[in-house]
Amino acid sequence: MSVEKFYLILSIFLFLSGFLGILIRKNLITILVSTELMLNGINLAFVSIDRMLGSTEGQVFALFVLTVAAAEVAVGLGIIIAIFRLRGYEGSSETVHLRD
Amino acid sequence: MEWIITAFLSLWLIVSTLGTIFMKNPVHVILSFLSAILAMAGVFLQMGAELLAGLQLIIYAVAIVVFYVLIITVIPWEKVKRFEGIYKQELLWGIPFFMIAFGVMSYMTLKGKFAEPLNVLSGNNVKDVGKNLFTSYLFPFEVASVILLIAMIGAILLGRKEE
Repeated sequence: MSVEKFYLILSIFLFLSGFLGILIRKNLITILVSTELMLNGINLAFVSIDRMLGSTEGQVFALFVLTVAAAEVAVGLGIIIAIFRLRGYEGSSETVHLRD
Repeated sequence: MEWIITAFLSLWLIVSTLGTIFMKNPVHVILSFLSAILAMAGVFLQMGAELLAGLQLIIYAVAIVVFYVLIITVIPWEKVKRFEGIYKQELLWGIPFFMIAFGVMSYMTLKGKFAEPLNVLSGNNVKDVGKNLFTSYLFPFEVASVILLIAMIGAILLGRKEE
């Protein structure tokens, strides 16, 4: 087993851990942090496959993933603040209405 | 030597990932996430992606983590404390799913055949990535700036105070 395959398996672990975090966390902020973990796992998979194939396309796409992560954090935290202002802060299980 | 660095970085990464998922306090969660990001930058350096490691440090470890901390300071602390920790029942259902998915995907990774190497690199990572980014992927690069602009407008609209 090469280092690249090991890192691929590690990236699968990271992605699934982020997914587990989204399922089980109560706090909305920590749920967003778990999505960041998932994006990091994807980046790791891109970079290790890049090393395996000897190309740079994966790193370019990892750059775009970084951009989308920044945008997602800005909008997601804006939504969290809006939820918090609207009804007081709620746990993830009680935020079930889209409006009111 | 390579495997020693790999073992150190991956142990660091796994421990901080588990801390990110299971720690109770949101501030501790963000600190564990920061630690995971630093370990990830080390992994990128080992994989030969120097440009991405630097961007990871600049964008994630500085911009995004500071943004999270800023939001936690904006929200009153008692209301953050009211919903901390994890759902026990979902954890009970989530662990077997995690195990099965991880086993299946790792098996496919270990047994599968990968594409053949291309070997077109010049050895200068920043130069290679920059050349590829500004020739083949110029249009997606421009679109990314539009995405950031729209995200900025959306964040301003969502975060403003209701009259």
